[in-house]
Amino acid sequence: MLEPQMLFVKDLEVEREGNRILRGISMQVHPGEICGVLGRNGAGKSSLAYAIMGLPQYAPRKGRIWFDGEDITEWGVTERARAGITLAWQHPARYEGIQVRDYLKLSKPDAAVEDLEEALKLVQMEPFYLDRMVDKGLSGGERKRIELSSIYLMKPRLAILDEPDSGVDLLALGEVMGLFKILASGGSSVLIITHREDVAAACDRSYLMCAGKMILEGSAAAVKRYFLSQCEPCVEQKPENTGEAALNHA
Amino acid sequence: MHNLSEEYKTLVSIAERTGGQPGSFGAEDVIYVVVHGNRILASHALPGVRIEAAETGDGIDARITVQAGTKVSRPVHLCFGHLAASGRQVIRSRIFLEEESSAEFQAHCIFPNAIEFLHAMEGEIHLGPGSAFSYREVHVHGPDGRIDVRPVSRVRIDEKAVYRGDFTLVEGRVGNLAIDIDVEAHGRRSRVEVTSKIYGKFDDFCQVRDIVRLTGAESTALIKARVVLKDRSQGKFLGLVDGAAPGARGHVDCTEVVQGEAKAVASPVVQASHPEAEVTHEAAIGRIADEKIQGLMAKGLSADAAIDFVVSGLLR
Repeated sequence: MLEPQMLFVKDLEVEREGNRILRGISMQVHPGEICGVLGRNGAGKSSLAYAIMGLPQYAPRKGRIWFDGEDITEWGVTERARAGITLAWQHPARYEGIQVRDYLKLSKPDAAVEDLEEALKLVQMEPFYLDRMVDKGLSGGERKRIELSSIYLMKPRLAILDEPDSGVDLLALGEVMGLFKILASGGSSVLIITHREDVAAACDRSYLMCAGKMILEGSAAAVKRYFLSQCEPCVEQKPENTGEAALNHA
Repeated sequence: MHNLSEEYKTLVSIAERTGGQPGSFGAEDVIYVVVHGNRILASHALPGVRIEAAETGDGIDARITVQAGTKVSRPVHLCFGHLAASGRQVIRSRIFLEEESSAEFQAHCIFPNAIEFLHAMEGEIHLGPGSAFSYREVHVHGPDGRIDVRPVSRVRIDEKAVYRGDFTLVEGRVGNLAIDIDVEAHGRRSRVEVTSKIYGKFDDFCQVRDIVRLTGAESTALIKARVVLKDRSQGKFLGLVDGAAPGARGHVDCTEVVQGEAKAVASPVVQASHPEAEVTHEAAIGRIADEKIQGLMAKGLSADAAIDFVVSGLLR
């Protein structure tokens, strides 16, 4: 019996400035699943995240995206967000003059202070951060953790986390990894974009991406093993069959 | 027929929502004046502060004196407005802060229904030695129509006196705005800060002209403008500091953000009429980065709501 799909991407192609950055991507994410997309820098992982989120610069020239059985390929960012998809950016933007509390409340307008504090605590941040500004006064890692807090408050149906560990120190990394499981146990599906095999290993299932293509799909352990043993910086070669994972290197 | 109490209630409720502390108007320990068109609906002073106001054909003439040594502890609220769609209101004010006095004035200029309206503020401000005066003017206009707004201030500052002026027009249409502020800091060690925060939309036009002459030795000035323009709105900013005395220091800082087909011109001008003065400037015109807008849209905000959210921070 086929598992139900929350997100289904079929033959997706995206071109930017004359370069095909996504080349026939097909993938799926199931309800309540933590799914990883592993790949080296430049593989096209963030582009895939932006295309799923609906950024106009990453509108597909070919292929379709379905969410909960609905074809959302032509939908804008806001429509997708209101349907339950959100994205935690690799480098969250700065917002001059905006307090952390107001930023977090965008994700949950009726949140009580206790809710906001709980969300910060999950990523090892103290309540005093609520009064800080989301601007250059915060480090990249602090903004990253605030972004993850906002995702937790939003309780999306699908959270796309682009390099969720980048800029986060080792002490907080454990909490960030734990957040994936909290999100999933709360009913969200989580799609983690990462170049780190140990982050991908925390997933239920993973894809391996190379040069704009999905070249491998399988258990997180199998994909990690292949990544560590076979992957060189962005070479296009046909990988061997790992046994536990299905290969798709066109 | 006019219902004065309704006009009072409406003006005051908007004023309190947009920057006034709830309960300020009508409180025994707060100085306030409420004017609808050319009618003074309410006026309340406290010892040490004298308010003389007279109705004119199209507005009021007011003279407010803060007597020597008086420290006004709570902000003074001035509410000027009109609930009609068309008309004019001219407020002529003379404000004197005598030696070693201090006060913070909050002016609420409220025109929620204005379509064709002229609102002019002609102010003369004189700060005596050692006094400190903060004047914050917040405008609330309706979402439609145009209103001509002409705030003109002439400010003279004596020795060691401090002037802080803050003009904010971020709610509703700007209409056609021409701010004209001219400050002479002629007292030794006097200080000036002038800030303008404006959010123009549709075909609004705003012009800001802030001029500070530092003629007092060791006087200082900061002119700061934050202007956001979207749709087809246009803005022009001129900020000029003239360092005309030994040890005078000044800075002009202007940031304009444009979206859509909006156009902005920024002219920060620094002039050193005295060789021992130091004046600097910075100006930037840019767009709101896509990543900021899209980051908020990924939380479910529309593009317009995302821009408004970013702007609310920039103009805070």
